[in-house]
Amino acid sequence: MSPDGNSAPAHAPAHAPGHGGGAHPAQEGPRGVAAPGTVHVSHDHHELGFLRKYVFSVDHKVIAIQFMLTGLFFLVLGGLFAMAIRHQVAWPWKPIPGLSVLFPDTGGVISPEFYTMLFTMHGTIMIFFVIIPLLTGAFGNFLIPLMVGAPDMAFPKLNMFGYWAMIPAIFFALLGFFVEGGAAAAGWTAYPTLSTIATAAPGSLTGQTWWLMALTWVGVSSMMGAVNYVTTIFKMRAPGMTMMRMPLSIWGLLIAALLQLFALPVLTAASILQLLDRTLHTGFFTPSNLLVNATRPELLSNAGAALDGASGGHPLLWQHLFWFYSHPAVYIMVLPAMGFASDILSTHARKPVFGYKPMVYSMSAIAGLGFIVWGHHMFTSGMNPALGMSFMVATIMIALPSAVKVFNWIGTLWGSRIHLNSAMLNALAFVAMFIIGGLSGIWMAATPVDIYIHDTYIVVAHFHYVVFAGSVFAIWAAIYHWFPKMFGRQMNETLGKVHFIGSFVFTNGVFYMMHQIGLAGLMRRTADPYTYATYAHLQESNELITLCAFALFVWQIFFVINFFHSMFWGKRVGRNPWRANSLEWEAPSPPGHGNFDRELAVYRGPYEYGSPEVSEDYLPQTRKLGDGAARPAQAHAHH
Amino acid sequence: MSDPQPLRGRLAIAAGLFGLLLAACDPEPPRPELHYTLSADSKQLLADYPAAQDQLLGTLGMLFGSPSNPRYAVPEEWIDDERNPNDAWAELSEARQAELVAANKKAFATPLAALERGEFAAVEPAREALDLQAAWGEIRAGYDEIAAAMEAGTKSRTDLDKYVAENKADAIALFTDWYPSLRESAEMYRTQCLHCHGINGDGKGSTAEFLNPTPRDYQRGAFKWTALNEKARPRRADLYGVLENGVNGTAMLSFKRFSATQLEGLVDYVRLLSIRGETERNLAREDAEEGFKIEAVQEAYLDVWSKWDKSAEFVIAYDGEIPEATPEVIEHGRVLYNDATGANCVSCHGVGGLGDGPSAKEPDPNGGPVPISKKDDWGNPLGPRDLTQGIYRGGDRPIDLYRRLYAGINGTYMPAHSTIKDPQGNRKVTDEDLWAIVHYVRSLSKGKRL
Amino acid sequence: MSFLNPSNGAWSILALLVALLLVLVTFVKFTRLWTVILIALLPILGVWTFVKAPEWGLWFPKDVSTHGAGMDSLFNLILWMVAITFVLTEVGLVWCVFRYHDKVPGKSLFTHGSHKLEMIWTAIPAVALLVIAFAQIGTFKQIKFEDHWPTGGPYSKDKPIAHVIAYQFAWLMRYPDANGSFDSVDVIESPFDFVVPVDTDIMFQLKSRDVLHSFFLPNLRLKQDAVPGMTIPMWFQATEVGEYDLICAELCGWGHYKMAGRLIVKSKPDYEKWLADKRAALKSNGTADLEAAE
Repeated sequence: MSPDGNSAPAHAPAHAPGHGGGAHPAQEGPRGVAAPGTVHVSHDHHELGFLRKYVFSVDHKVIAIQFMLTGLFFLVLGGLFAMAIRHQVAWPWKPIPGLSVLFPDTGGVISPEFYTMLFTMHGTIMIFFVIIPLLTGAFGNFLIPLMVGAPDMAFPKLNMFGYWAMIPAIFFALLGFFVEGGAAAAGWTAYPTLSTIATAAPGSLTGQTWWLMALTWVGVSSMMGAVNYVTTIFKMRAPGMTMMRMPLSIWGLLIAALLQLFALPVLTAASILQLLDRTLHTGFFTPSNLLVNATRPELLSNAGAALDGASGGHPLLWQHLFWFYSHPAVYIMVLPAMGFASDILSTHARKPVFGYKPMVYSMSAIAGLGFIVWGHHMFTSGMNPALGMSFMVATIMIALPSAVKVFNWIGTLWGSRIHLNSAMLNALAFVAMFIIGGLSGIWMAATPVDIYIHDTYIVVAHFHYVVFAGSVFAIWAAIYHWFPKMFGRQMNETLGKVHFIGSFVFTNGVFYMMHQIGLAGLMRRTADPYTYATYAHLQESNELITLCAFALFVWQIFFVINFFHSMFWGKRVGRNPWRANSLEWEAPSPPGHGNFDRELAVYRGPYEYGSPEVSEDYLPQTRKLGDGAARPAQAHAHH
Repeated sequence: MSDPQPLRGRLAIAAGLFGLLLAACDPEPPRPELHYTLSADSKQLLADYPAAQDQLLGTLGMLFGSPSNPRYAVPEEWIDDERNPNDAWAELSEARQAELVAANKKAFATPLAALERGEFAAVEPAREALDLQAAWGEIRAGYDEIAAAMEAGTKSRTDLDKYVAENKADAIALFTDWYPSLRESAEMYRTQCLHCHGINGDGKGSTAEFLNPTPRDYQRGAFKWTALNEKARPRRADLYGVLENGVNGTAMLSFKRFSATQLEGLVDYVRLLSIRGETERNLAREDAEEGFKIEAVQEAYLDVWSKWDKSAEFVIAYDGEIPEATPEVIEHGRVLYNDATGANCVSCHGVGGLGDGPSAKEPDPNGGPVPISKKDDWGNPLGPRDLTQGIYRGGDRPIDLYRRLYAGINGTYMPAHSTIKDPQGNRKVTDEDLWAIVHYVRSLSKGKRL
Repeated sequence: MSFLNPSNGAWSILALLVALLLVLVTFVKFTRLWTVILIALLPILGVWTFVKAPEWGLWFPKDVSTHGAGMDSLFNLILWMVAITFVLTEVGLVWCVFRYHDKVPGKSLFTHGSHKLEMIWTAIPAVALLVIAFAQIGTFKQIKFEDHWPTGGPYSKDKPIAHVIAYQFAWLMRYPDANGSFDSVDVIESPFDFVVPVDTDIMFQLKSRDVLHSFFLPNLRLKQDAVPGMTIPMWFQATEVGEYDLICAELCGWGHYKMAGRLIVKSKPDYEKWLADKRAALKSNGTADLEAAE
């Protein structure tokens, strides 16, 4: 960028937001992007072709929509896997419709090894290709510049690369199904030695290697995003936008990005170690004296010659490294959702968020504590029990900030004026069901109880409540809420309500009873439980759950239709259909290149709904009030 | 930039589609209909006679039924003897039958308790027991009819109690005297065994390609872990033993969580698959240009059956107390192990018992420099057992090892040492020698069992 | 595909769908009412299904261990706390949706929070959580910390009753020879059946040959991963004679769901007899099979 700030600045990136010549106000932000809060006036519109505008775009909004479409596609794919899993659990060894193509000999009855691939890929897809891309990739990208008042991300090209790094990840993840042995089959947790010894599982022949490659690329994508988000939030806020005036969505996204930055390298390192174990036969996770499939691993190779595989490693090392990332990962999957819920509840209830600072501190506490609780996934793993005690204490503590947040959401609704539109309904459902998910976690935190419930369906119920009934509902709420900003059109309310009610009823139908069948001891990842006397009576419950699952899956058609129809033929709306306060609603719907078309200055926080200072029931962050007493640099009086 | 359009039409279509989808869902799918096929060997042998292939398949269908409904054709010779191969219960000794009734009482404890209390509504038979379900279903239908009539007011509680009293004994007997039909055993095989052992019992289920050792191919009639000599067909007890104990060190696990009755039923079905497979092999080797003559078919069928009927004659046992494992005996065993004029175990099992002896390899047929592992009769590469692991697939008792040495291992190149003779026609190793080797071999894994 | 014969479960789903359709028709007009009902149903049905669960058999299986009571009572303590919190928060949510709707005149209550309330609802849960944290220490130590294990019984960590070996996909129990040695050739191997005497402190060692497995006895509230490369000591005491499922609780491959075993708790004399029979079987000369064959 040009040091004197004058015309014709250096055009280092070929597609910098068009800085042309000519008189041009003001400051330049990093990397040739206009300063935050300023108007981006481009005098030199080089018309972009379709590809540069919609496919290989560096515009954060386009990238956000790319992430969104990808994430929603994988939600459907992961959901399909889940339907196959549920079908098998409800009616073991009965033909699954549509799968007779893959299993012609048995008439569509899947094999046990295919079942292991199904649940492995279901978990992998949902976590790495749905939730994280939707929450951080789609909404992180879309909201951060708009809500802080920046014309784009700090590093637009890096942003684009972050999306395209997902493509090799997708390719590798799905490629697994087509290689010898099939897709990865060691669970999304990929514990060695099941994942590292080729003959221990069919998917561990080659599928697991591709899985690790996919994970590495997902990590690359996430890291790019995290770097961008943190920089943009710290460096590119509009004048007057102090940290404590940022919407909670941004706080959630910021903290999640920080979690990514600090935790992800450990996972990447671990997956590289596992790759080395698998390909170069190092022995990080391989102990000595193994006998797999009646053949010592050191003697295995396709060529029949002896290999000198290293050993002396420890399977628990992987678990520690993996969970060191994957536990913060679950907070990455929930903190942005919590942020969105706060914003959506506040906006549609026309009332400020109750306890903004406690909310920020809680999210920070959750993230901080989230780094020291990973061992609660390993209470029965064989690690030192004394270590288990320390993890237990930290895990119990982490319930506290989550509880505080729930109380604050209820406090937000108290005395409010709730408009029950689709966004609000889904946000309410998020709170209602996050309560269930959070509370069930306390059982698992209590280590003696965890000894029994570890790896049972209670764990499945718990994480599906927080991640599906929680985050996915928050994602739906966010889509209904910010769709008008993204596309300039509103989603159909009737269809939104229809979608909500079925999804809510059937989600609870699927996951609630999993608590009870988990108490009965039903193990996870079990293709056919009913031959055990302990589980023989559970089939009926599982059938009911499966039927609800089918209904839930099919019900999503209402959302799909609504989403695509509204994108092209929805009711047109202006800048601020919800009469909301935060900065993104200042921009046109959809925002153009550079986002804002006038200068921005921020005078207050984003939650001044129902303020007595004005006659309307909302007071945007940028609205300057008459007597000039409130100035951008001063913080509005908060208590 | 399109104008907004109302969603009503599309909403209606979506709702309609959704409704249709749901209505069309039959949530619980039926059992799949499976079909036997010819083995690759048979197809190759009959490659020039496609019509004969179809005829063979049809003939086998006539003799053995289908996987969803298997049953033996009853040979004429047997009708007079009142022997029905479809009635395996009759083959069992009275003592065994009593054991199975006891096993039924234990396995069906919950439904039986419900029946005792007269709670017909609470009874649920096992899922693979299809015929039991059908039979119970008839009794239950009568009960439900009266119960429904009670709701409608046309019948009273006493009618229901009377029905229960009348039918209780029969219902209880259905469960306690249950013995699986071939159809029920085939269903159990389908859900528990098929994915490894294959529809035809050829060991080529979907999971098989990932297993070492591969699952047993029953179609040759060769079973490794029997107590029998001269490669005889297994007794029921041999097959039952494998189901009960599993095969240590392989993916064949113990199936003791099923009742003894269910396991006996599986023995019946495995036998059917094996007899079918051998019959198919024998017929495929016939001159098929003119098709299969009925006499040839009957002969092949009866021939295989007769082999199975004779099993009991080949049990290997040792007269008297087995020799103790004293240091002298073990040393004697060690000498015989290493001696080319003795048992010569070292040639395959190697000096340390690691299974790295030279005779277990053969030249690479592709002309490569490194010899490759010899194969077993099923064409799988097979190395000699690493005796230091202490993993004995056919059982770890001394008598089990003795039987391996005495009769060899059917289907492999482990020789039957009881038959190996020196040039003078005397056995190279006597029975006592075999015990010495047994004790020496067991000593190799001392302290090293995994 | 057939319309004709849905199972019982399907009928209830169809009924639910019909109900849902009826609700749908009125949902758009009566959104607030239905939302209140739906959210209210969460605590109502949520608590009801837990109250009814033992009756439906969807509860802990029978406990025949000595340390299980501690775990079950800890579970119940948490269950009560969680239930109360659940009901209170959901009722709060329902109340807000019911009472504070957009037709209420005027603006919302304009407040940004309350320091006092924050203190209260931080302190009370903190205390509750501390109670839970401390309540479990005793039970945890009893199960996991070796220096808390009972001593004085016939078995100890160094002289366990058996080695339990997990491999793909079976459990193999190895009992020592008559002199207590696991290294001898006369060890007793028992596939599938883990036989133990009742009312005795059982110490055993858990091993794996190949991948991670997990030794899970639901009726004894016991679970421990079997880690290849580690030998893990464990203990329990069974208080009732009987047979109990042993289930693998860590994904170990395609056969994970089949990896079954059985804990057979016998009376002490029966256990000794079983062990003696097994030792005698080592001396078998096979003639029993001859007789069986006749």
